[in-house]
Amino acid sequence: MNKRSVAIFASEASVLCFCLAPFLYMLATALSSTGAAYLSPRGALHPTFLPAFLPTLEHFRSILLSPTLHFPRYLLNSVGISLLAALFSVAVAAPAAYALTRMHVPGAQILMFVVLSLSMFPAVSLVSSLFRFMTRLGWINTWQALVLPYVAWSMPLALWTLVSYFQQIPMELDRAALVDGASRFQALRFILLPMAAPGVFSTGLLAFIFAFNEFLYALMLTTDSTARTMPVAIALFEGLHGEIPWGEIMAAAVVATAPVVLLTIVFQQRIVQGLTRGAVKE
Amino acid sequence: MSPLILLLTVLVLQPVVGTVADSFRRDIVFLKPAFAGVSNYTALLDDPGFWSAARFTLLFALVSVQLEVAIGLAIALLLNEPVPFRGLCRACVLIPWSIPAAVSGRVFQLIYDYSNGAANWILQATGLAAAAVNWLGTSMGAFCAVVAADVWKTAPFAAVMLLAGLSAIPEVLYQQAAVDRAGPWQRFVYITLPQLKPVLVVTLLFRTIQAVCIFDVIFVLTGGGPGAATQSLSVLAYSYFGSGDFGYGSAVSALLFALALLLAMLYVRSTRNSARNGTWRRA
Repeated sequence: MNKRSVAIFASEASVLCFCLAPFLYMLATALSSTGAAYLSPRGALHPTFLPAFLPTLEHFRSILLSPTLHFPRYLLNSVGISLLAALFSVAVAAPAAYALTRMHVPGAQILMFVVLSLSMFPAVSLVSSLFRFMTRLGWINTWQALVLPYVAWSMPLALWTLVSYFQQIPMELDRAALVDGASRFQALRFILLPMAAPGVFSTGLLAFIFAFNEFLYALMLTTDSTARTMPVAIALFEGLHGEIPWGEIMAAAVVATAPVVLLTIVFQQRIVQGLTRGAVKE
Repeated sequence: MSPLILLLTVLVLQPVVGTVADSFRRDIVFLKPAFAGVSNYTALLDDPGFWSAARFTLLFALVSVQLEVAIGLAIALLLNEPVPFRGLCRACVLIPWSIPAAVSGRVFQLIYDYSNGAANWILQATGLAAAAVNWLGTSMGAFCAVVAADVWKTAPFAAVMLLAGLSAIPEVLYQQAAVDRAGPWQRFVYITLPQLKPVLVVTLLFRTIQAVCIFDVIFVLTGGGPGAATQSLSVLAYSYFGSGDFGYGSAVSALLFALALLLAMLYVRSTRNSARNGTWRRA
């Protein structure tokens, strides 16, 4: 091995270490028994540390089976709300992206940039008014109180991504469908959406991840396990006896991150494409 | 088209207008709401809590955005080369980005925990520190912890954006540089950086907007503490909402909104400029 490849391996190792170490630490703490003292300084330097460190599922069992912690319910809320938000954002963004790329919408470009700047608004500037709005509707602590703001919130990203995918599909295809007597909706449903399927999937995937990870709205617009999501449940999870139950917290963290981390690893290229699509002309 | 406009009007524009309107009212739970003019804003200017939150927010944005774009650029430069295990590295880089910020906040809370955390464990095991450091109990330690948690989570995003920018640089430029016998440093300064500049500017602006709005990592990791040392403007506004003072909280978030809007306009302008130049359409 020459000097250059040693340097490359060393830098790759540090990139992997940077990205994975906190994640693996979370996993290790979740799997270690309380007796191993969370890989603490004293525990780790003790000669019996390594033999004592046998992976155990006790923390997972205690958070998933406890009748008072409601973690399975939080997970259901998170997955359900994020799925609905992803479906609706594609359903709302697709017709708009169709209109912007296939019909002559006056001021289309200005509209695109107005929508883009909406995505930069700080969540805290919206949340108090949204709280009152949802209170008036009687929707506080329901799924729809989160689904609708999440759809609005992911709209800029969904619209920009879908527009850039639709632009790549030759106009002649759906124009031919229109000539053959298809309605505009049919052209979108049967020509554009199937042709742009990878783009539609990336858009939905990103909307799902954003909704799954959102924190402030979920904190303010829910009150208990009826609609509270995983990130909020983990943030507010405290022990009963003053001591922080790190093992349980990290087990809950693993459960909460598993869906998004798996999606990210499996669909890595789709996500990168969705995030950077149109950023660079290809 | 119209469902989209309706949705954005009701759920984004209307709340912002509502917040700005609230900021001119005295609106405290149990008290009758009344028009208050600019009194919320004049009170803010005399409020040391507001100034300390503003100072923290700007300092945090400055330090964390520079660090994460620098680290992101380093990762992107490495993964743009045909190195072994590139696919594996690219997949792992996305993991921190995909984890909910509230969860990574909790993980960093454990890392910086005084008696159980990995930070003190490593410092003491390697002999870098004689005694355990009280990370989350001192303002400097808490600042470092918050920056570290944010950089870990967002540097990968910068890396992904910059990697896309790097891969779009025409190969022919480097071939010409090779003919001219340019060294690696010269290629970086005279080709890579200028070609990457539009992507770099947009990434910097985008991340700055998100950094000045920081809420979840801080809420979970330090709760704004110790004292109010790591209270960002978003956390400050939220704490006023929590205590029922909607008028004052709205004034804080309206000012934050003005700052974000200003940055967003710069962002949109630089995206449009590069769209016109043809290298770019979106960040």
